[in-house]
Amino acid sequence: MKKMEIADYKGKVKPSWCPGCGNHSVLMALKKAMAELNYQTHETAIVSGIGCSSRFPFFMATYGFHSIHGRALPVAIGLKQAKPEINVIAVGGDGDGLSIGGNHFIHAGRKNPNITYIMMDNEIYALTKGQCSPTSRIGTITKCNPYAWTADRINPVLMALSFNASYVARGYAGDVKQLEKLIFGGLQHKGFAFIHIVSPCVQYNKVSSFEKIKEIVRNLPDNHDLTDRVNAMKYAFSSDGLYTGVFYKVQRPTYEERYKDVISKAKQAVDSNFSIKDVIKQFQ
Amino acid sequence: MKDLKIKISGISGQGIISSGDILSYATARKGYYVTTYRAFPSEIRGDGKCYYTLRISEHKALTATGTTDILVCLDEDTIYEGINNITKNGVLIYDSDIVPILKEKRDDIVIYGLPLTKIAKELDSERSRNMVALGMVVGLLKNLHLEEQILKDIELRYKNKAQEVINSNKKALNSGFEYCLNKLERKDNLEKAEMKTTGAKLIMSGNEAIGLAALVSGCRFFAGYPITPATEIMEWLAKELPKFDGKMVQCEDEIAAINYALGASYSGVKSMTATSGPGFSLMQEAIGLASMAEIPIVIADVQRCGPSTGIPTKTEQSDLFAAMYGTHGDCPKIVLAPMDVADCFYQTINAFNFAEQYQVPVIILSDASLGPRRECVDLIDIDNLKIVNRQKALLKEGDIYRRYEDTKSGISPITNPGDLYGEHVVTGLEHTEENAPTPSAQVHRKMIEKRFRKLETAAGQFSKAKTYGIEGASIGIISWGSTSGAVFEAIDMAKEKGIDVQALYPRTLYPLPSDWIKGFVKDKDVIIVVEANYNAQFKSTIVERCTHINKGTEVLEFLKYDGTPFTPEEILEEIEKVAKLQQEKNDISTNKHIHF
Repeated sequence: MKKMEIADYKGKVKPSWCPGCGNHSVLMALKKAMAELNYQTHETAIVSGIGCSSRFPFFMATYGFHSIHGRALPVAIGLKQAKPEINVIAVGGDGDGLSIGGNHFIHAGRKNPNITYIMMDNEIYALTKGQCSPTSRIGTITKCNPYAWTADRINPVLMALSFNASYVARGYAGDVKQLEKLIFGGLQHKGFAFIHIVSPCVQYNKVSSFEKIKEIVRNLPDNHDLTDRVNAMKYAFSSDGLYTGVFYKVQRPTYEERYKDVISKAKQAVDSNFSIKDVIKQFQ
Repeated sequence: MKDLKIKISGISGQGIISSGDILSYATARKGYYVTTYRAFPSEIRGDGKCYYTLRISEHKALTATGTTDILVCLDEDTIYEGINNITKNGVLIYDSDIVPILKEKRDDIVIYGLPLTKIAKELDSERSRNMVALGMVVGLLKNLHLEEQILKDIELRYKNKAQEVINSNKKALNSGFEYCLNKLERKDNLEKAEMKTTGAKLIMSGNEAIGLAALVSGCRFFAGYPITPATEIMEWLAKELPKFDGKMVQCEDEIAAINYALGASYSGVKSMTATSGPGFSLMQEAIGLASMAEIPIVIADVQRCGPSTGIPTKTEQSDLFAAMYGTHGDCPKIVLAPMDVADCFYQTINAFNFAEQYQVPVIILSDASLGPRRECVDLIDIDNLKIVNRQKALLKEGDIYRRYEDTKSGISPITNPGDLYGEHVVTGLEHTEENAPTPSAQVHRKMIEKRFRKLETAAGQFSKAKTYGIEGASIGIISWGSTSGAVFEAIDMAKEKGIDVQALYPRTLYPLPSDWIKGFVKDKDVIIVVEANYNAQFKSTIVERCTHINKGTEVLEFLKYDGTPFTPEEILEEIEKVAKLQQEKNDISTNKHIHF
């Protein structure tokens, strides 16, 4: 097997993100984590939906599936279930994953597929030139809401915890070192790993800039019990800052493992040389 | 006797469907041909009506609709609904315990009011009233010798239930059978009815045929969301796929289902989903993705009355526009429509072959009259079926791989995750041959042409449109999907009345079978397009798109949109009407000629 270097993951297309966009750090952190785990490009698929961050697969040398708005998770889970030996990483933004694709996020948590889902949250729809997203803050003014924004924010980490994602972490694009660690942990984790990354938009979101996020970011305490879901929720709820780090990490059977049980049960009922001709017998 | 139609009717919950199923299995396994039609309400219990019609025959029959020879009613209302549809000398069986006085009668049929409830009560199982009635039917047709086989089929159907259930059903059937043989004063002429058996065959539903064909084609991934009347495909594959290391996953909605299937197909596994109208609407965007990103996928749409929730259990052929044009953008895809259960099998085999070979979404249009319909299928020779597998690019280090290479056939070399040196990104964005996104006008034009070129390449591979009836007849009928069975039978009936008609049945609806239609209409004065929708969806498409039709040939439509399938009798009536009009027209033109 080839020993992978960061440069080996460089895609054919040059990143189209604005200079200074938080997503550049995420791209770098993912490449580093993958190199460390020696992920082979032909054995890895990056799956995304639509949005600025969803252009991600084009910037990688791996297999990639740039799908439709909101559907990164179903494509990724289908791919993984059909071919579990492939490393599957879903990526996308807050609008893609929490608004149009919100339903799939719920069900990914409870199914626990062995994939990593990296959400780059810039609190805005940037590809469509700045409209409010499910994570936009009260006070955000855009062309679509020139007077006031009228909905509360979604808390992605709290959602993932309540959907029973088995690995939940949050990072901040201003800290690539931490990102790399969180992503590395997510890739290594067997089960649905959700990594929420606050990745400020330098173009359309002045409310949540790098400077402002930096002020509120703090690390989860070292003694935080990773198996304590209720306590993890308390940190996710916390209004005394934006906690980053690993909130929750437990092992439970993955979607693919559970389906292996289905297959072994189905096979128990039939002979080892069972063929399609035997299936047809039920119609005779 | 060559042919016999039995209808069992009542209220949902009375066991109409199970008794119909048991009888159809028994007749098929005994070696007769059987085809069925069932209609039931969306509610599990309640006062919705349930009907199960079986047509038992010596030769393969194409419909089970129309008149009835034996009508069995477990409730009162269905008696009056059905009594006038019984053929002369036919039989009506009803439960005299719940209907003491019959409000409507007929002199030209035989009416048996039988104590079904009393017999069932004596056995301490009032719920087995349906089996008592079924036993009576088996008794009436004693020369068909179904009694042993039907007991076996009761056992098979309830094999996962308690022995008591099996026993009480068998006992009830026997009581009905004995009553008919020993106590019933026969007035009907079925006693001597005999029918030739025609050897081993298969019996399955349209939905099961689609599932079986998927399995035979090598499909090993199915993602779906429950929806009437398509769920049976999902249930059948859930049971069978894991025996072959395949997977059936139930998703959170139909959007997820088709995207799961696309992810799975991208990984290299033949994949499909199945749904009905509402789910089909939800899948449209992803069908466009499959078309744009060139990912093979098969989608079965078991149509039901729409729009919106419509009538979930009733049939319609009203999703043709959605199948052909439902997706935004110029979207190459293939739409197939099977005519009967056997065709559900063979068209699904074609669907997978086309999807894999041409890297397009393939849609199968079944419907609520065909999906749940159980009928005989001649034995299938699975060793001699043509199965197309994905033609993968073989690459070595240093090769330049272009996923969307613009080839002569339009088909580009494909690889899947796991294949060395084949890394690429599939995308719904317009892209270059090297799969880089681009808004270039030139590239968009070129790539649209490339994607559509695959359909031109495919056109030579499609099964020929089938014709039926009298070659050179001046009246033609064009129909598609399950309606074609009733059309063919109507043509046979018309022939007996001295009217020549020829039918055309295209199996591939999109790309539009223009050449076949052109060839067919050449010698026709008038064409009737028969389809089960209000908008004349196929007719308007061929009139609009096959401009050669507009010259000379008159194109009429005969439509039905009441949730029930066409009967041959209805179509015959239309044929007679059109034939008469044609005759009048000819007379006028002949007279004119004389005057000149």
